[in-house]
Amino acid sequence: MNDEALPLVFEGIPLGLLPGGSRMGSDPNAVFSLEVRPHETVVVIGDATSGVDALAALVLGLDPAPGGRALVWGTEIALLSRLKQLAFRRRVGYLPAGDGLLQNLSLRDNIRLPLRFGSDFQPDEIEGRVDVILAQLRLKAVAHFRPAAATEEERRRAALGRALAFDPELVVLDQPFDGLTERVAAELLEVARGGEVAEGGRRTVFITGQDLPAMLRPRVERLVRLGATPAPLRA
Amino acid sequence: MAALPTLPGAGRRVAVRVLLNQLRFTALQAVPLVVLLSALLSFVVIRTSYQFTGLNEFVGTLMVVTVVQLLGPLLTALAVAGRSGTAITAELATNTVLGEIRALEGMGIDPYHYLVLPRLAGSVVSVTILIILFDVVALLSGFAATYASQASGARYLTNVLTALEGRDVILTVVKGILFGTVIGLLPSYHGLRVTRGPTEIPQAVTRGTVASIALIFIITALLMLLFGA
Repeated sequence: MNDEALPLVFEGIPLGLLPGGSRMGSDPNAVFSLEVRPHETVVVIGDATSGVDALAALVLGLDPAPGGRALVWGTEIALLSRLKQLAFRRRVGYLPAGDGLLQNLSLRDNIRLPLRFGSDFQPDEIEGRVDVILAQLRLKAVAHFRPAAATEEERRRAALGRALAFDPELVVLDQPFDGLTERVAAELLEVARGGEVAEGGRRTVFITGQDLPAMLRPRVERLVRLGATPAPLRA
Repeated sequence: MAALPTLPGAGRRVAVRVLLNQLRFTALQAVPLVVLLSALLSFVVIRTSYQFTGLNEFVGTLMVVTVVQLLGPLLTALAVAGRSGTAITAELATNTVLGEIRALEGMGIDPYHYLVLPRLAGSVVSVTILIILFDVVALLSGFAATYASQASGARYLTNVLTALEGRDVILTVVKGILFGTVIGLLPSYHGLRVTRGPTEIPQAVTRGTVASIALIFIITALLMLLFGA
């Protein structure tokens, strides 16, 4: 891991070779390159055949890049040993598409799981952190629900809470706003950013999806549409 | 950036909790089934013995040969494979289909550490304990039948202890470990191999169960060839 490296860099990812990426698009030889700077919130959107759905998994090293590379703080996670991969991923908050909550655990236990499994925190400290996250995401009243008993919005809130359990510097959100109202999506984006600092959000946030609600566009630093020229939304 | 963290002790504590849950489901909740099977098998063996030789103290030797050495471990393993092996495959296949395994990996939690290892350890411990329970219930059933038929309970026990060798005890434990490993690993493997969707879950359960049962029989035959029991 390189202290001076950017939080996230994509270099020459061949979109047509990604899972879901279509070689029938307008430019089958298109490659994707992007640098995400600290404190930025960057959103990449594209249709189902653009390959956008595969980008978050590339960041975490869950799938190997078919070409090019995805670097997190200068490290290509997919190339690390399995143990180091797992340890590295705990530095990154990850909300997978569809939430990925464990169905046999309550929402509270889902948020608690990474802290209990991936840290040496004392139980009191874990409970304290979980209480703060539950309050921040307004989940206290339903914290004891299993995912099947919760609404889609509550599940997504819990999944975000789980992603933020370690208070990571970099958060990767894979299709986080699908099915949510713009108001809720805006609220979750603010929680993911973790508040504001001079350079932007307290955290660096990378979001993928097929679209970005209009209400959120002024709240992100950059919106990149696959197949189109990246355009800064805000200086 | 701080140095890369290593796998912490807290992870092991969570895995131990999953292991305890597995023991509760695989061992504790299976006790009535194993006791019932053992009692029924004992009845069959004793009844058969009675038909051919009349009920006498030698039923003790028969119980050791048929139940302790062969049928006890085999039936216990089959019962656990049918009860817990299927549950393991279905649960892990569902975890996979719902994206939970991938989410665990993405969070830096090793699914093998969190889901598979506790189930494997739970299966090994549970099957070993249940085989011993099966044998004890069978031998006690034999004693009760002998006692009820006015034959000598003391001679029954003597015959059991004479027929029972240290090797039988060791083989019982070895079978428990081997069968438990099969029931912990194969269903997990087939559960985690699911890729296409929910319709594949019952197929995975079938594959896991059939593979487990086949391997249990193969191991039984191999041990029979190697050690005569």
